[in-house]
Amino acid sequence: MIQIHILEGKAFVWNSGDAQRIREEHRIVGTLVGALPRKPRQNMRLGLPLQLLPEEARLLAEKGVATFLKTPTSQPLADDAGQDPSLLEAVAAYQKEQEESYREQVRLAGEQRQALMGTLAEHIAQGRAKKRQQKGEEAEPPSKPADSEPSFVFPREAMMVQLPTERTQRGQEEKVDWRLPSKEWPYSGQPEHEMRYHVFQNLWERGYYITSGSKFGGDFLVYPGDPMRFHAHYIALCVPQDAPLSLCDIISVGRLGTNVKKTVLLCSVDQDGTVAYTSLQWSGMQ
Amino acid sequence: MGYTEHGKQCLLPEEALYLLECGSIQLFYKDLPLSVQEAYETLLSQVSMSLLKYQVFSHLKRLGYIVLRFHSSAITTPYERQLNLGSHYQNAKQHHHKRKRSSSPRKPKISEETQECKQPPQKAGRHHEGSSHPVSDGGSVSGEKVKESDPEAAVVETIPSSSDAVQRYRSPSVCIRDHRERSTMASWESQGNTCQSRWDFTTIIFPNMGADCPQTLLSQPDKRFLPKNVTAWVVDATRWRKKLNRKCEKLSHKEREQLEWERRYKSSINEDKEVRQCSTWQEYKALLEKKRQQRKKKYPANLWQQAVTPRVKPDQGLTTADILQQINVLQPSHILDGASQIQDDSRGMKIDFDVYPADTASSFKKNKPGKPFVRICVRSFDEQIPTLRAVKQLAYQSGDVPVVFALVDSGDIAFYSFKEFKLPVDVYP
Repeated sequence: MIQIHILEGKAFVWNSGDAQRIREEHRIVGTLVGALPRKPRQNMRLGLPLQLLPEEARLLAEKGVATFLKTPTSQPLADDAGQDPSLLEAVAAYQKEQEESYREQVRLAGEQRQALMGTLAEHIAQGRAKKRQQKGEEAEPPSKPADSEPSFVFPREAMMVQLPTERTQRGQEEKVDWRLPSKEWPYSGQPEHEMRYHVFQNLWERGYYITSGSKFGGDFLVYPGDPMRFHAHYIALCVPQDAPLSLCDIISVGRLGTNVKKTVLLCSVDQDGTVAYTSLQWSGMQ
Repeated sequence: MGYTEHGKQCLLPEEALYLLECGSIQLFYKDLPLSVQEAYETLLSQVSMSLLKYQVFSHLKRLGYIVLRFHSSAITTPYERQLNLGSHYQNAKQHHHKRKRSSSPRKPKISEETQECKQPPQKAGRHHEGSSHPVSDGGSVSGEKVKESDPEAAVVETIPSSSDAVQRYRSPSVCIRDHRERSTMASWESQGNTCQSRWDFTTIIFPNMGADCPQTLLSQPDKRFLPKNVTAWVVDATRWRKKLNRKCEKLSHKEREQLEWERRYKSSINEDKEVRQCSTWQEYKALLEKKRQQRKKKYPANLWQQAVTPRVKPDQGLTTADILQQINVLQPSHILDGASQIQDDSRGMKIDFDVYPADTASSFKKNKPGKPFVRICVRSFDEQIPTLRAVKQLAYQSGDVPVVFALVDSGDIAFYSFKEFKLPVDVYP
């Protein structure tokens, strides 16, 4: 079950496996919004968490592959007067783990250094002999290299520490029902959201990849395959079926679509939930 | 990043979260390390730092900008702005910092001059004891020299004699002060009462090197102020003077056009013989009145004797642009026009961040951040476009720093700003 965490009305996926499955199995793209730990000073490629559109999150939930979770808002940072015994346990476990990790890292660093010394031994010996020659000393028989160097110290500050991305302890989260509008999930029942969701669901069922279309002034961008490999083919614009459309708007979206070499889809939802698509094409009269 | 409180280095929630995300710090809560997810959930709150704001903050930080929270207290009130208090305060601080340092050159500013005029009299008075006035450029140095430490004071002591020498040096020269010069001197003296300038402008005379002076004799300068290897003697500059400014002035195309225009449309009132005959202002005004009456008679009655008269008189000598300006019905409006009258009702529209460019990171000081590069207002993508009223108010709050709207659309951030645009006007001369 994919866990979708709700924060301020936005849906996040923190588990890397979940994020991968969402993309690969369910064709849901989302947006990565966190800093990439290996390369934190750029905005081209980002890391976890994966932020989902409300429509994407709802689709996953409706298919039954995801649950919505939230952390209880009851003073998460309040200072408890009495220390929880389970907390003490956890702290002890954490410290023990750190100690083990340190010992492991000392061992690995030592081994690595030894291996490096081994590959460089000849080079070092040559260097020493050269020095001795320069000083004019007699070439002494090279002393046997100490197999374990006592001078090697691995400082505790140099220890590598793991910064967890996902929450480490479970059990404090509450489920959120996506069907009912709530403070955390205000979308369900809103006509705007319902219309967008129906269009999104219909396009997704046809096998497309869909991302947010704000870059092109539409509601969705529709890709024939993974957005990393394809350009978008359509700009989907959700319009209520019986609302009047001004000619100016049609011309502006039509011109936009022509200029960016995409087709504009005007999508409306019927009473019975079927979606009607109208595409705009610029046709010159010769 | 961060700030110090009670001797402890503290981080703001967004800074801590950003550093954690970058892998630069480890956060502990109840002796246990916080995961990034927990940090998101505990550090961000709707009140102080919402998720949207943090996403914009981290986006800008990742690009290397220096991002500070915006505090409305840092904004000058209209009254302060009117008085130019901000620059005064900063200059005063600058003074304070420079106290112990040597007299490094400083750009004289208008605000500084006025500020130094308000120096307490007993401080400035110290220098008047010597009954002489050291040389300073327009009084902007006076305040600084006073405050400097002892070695500098010694320098100050030597300067008075120099102005003595200046006086002695100037006095024998054969210069005639004309009427106008004397009047400007008088005005300087009257200012001196408030300004306490150490210059005595009545005694400083520059030699007349103009072509109208029959003879110019430059006396010998005081030897004390010359370098050791330089000798000086009395010079008759008359011969040299003739060589000055012999070349014809070369005018650029623009200047020639300007002269041409002036010749066509402007005339000196002194060219009028009647004006030259006037000896008092009263006579001159009477003459003007008379001329006005004459002119009125000249204009055709059907145009000028009615309730509605033409806006432009034929002999005003106006350019096309002036006339267009006069018959303009709608005046262009500026974004800050009337912004000060708008009540504080932006309905949650607030400036969120001050952003400083990344390349100033080495010289950036937190206690004196200076003027930001831009100010950011964070909005969600599905919110309404701000009204002109709100835009005006934000622009007014921000002063001369541009306001940029950061729109967050489920993780994607786009920056928009409203630019003021002035329609160009084409006028044939």
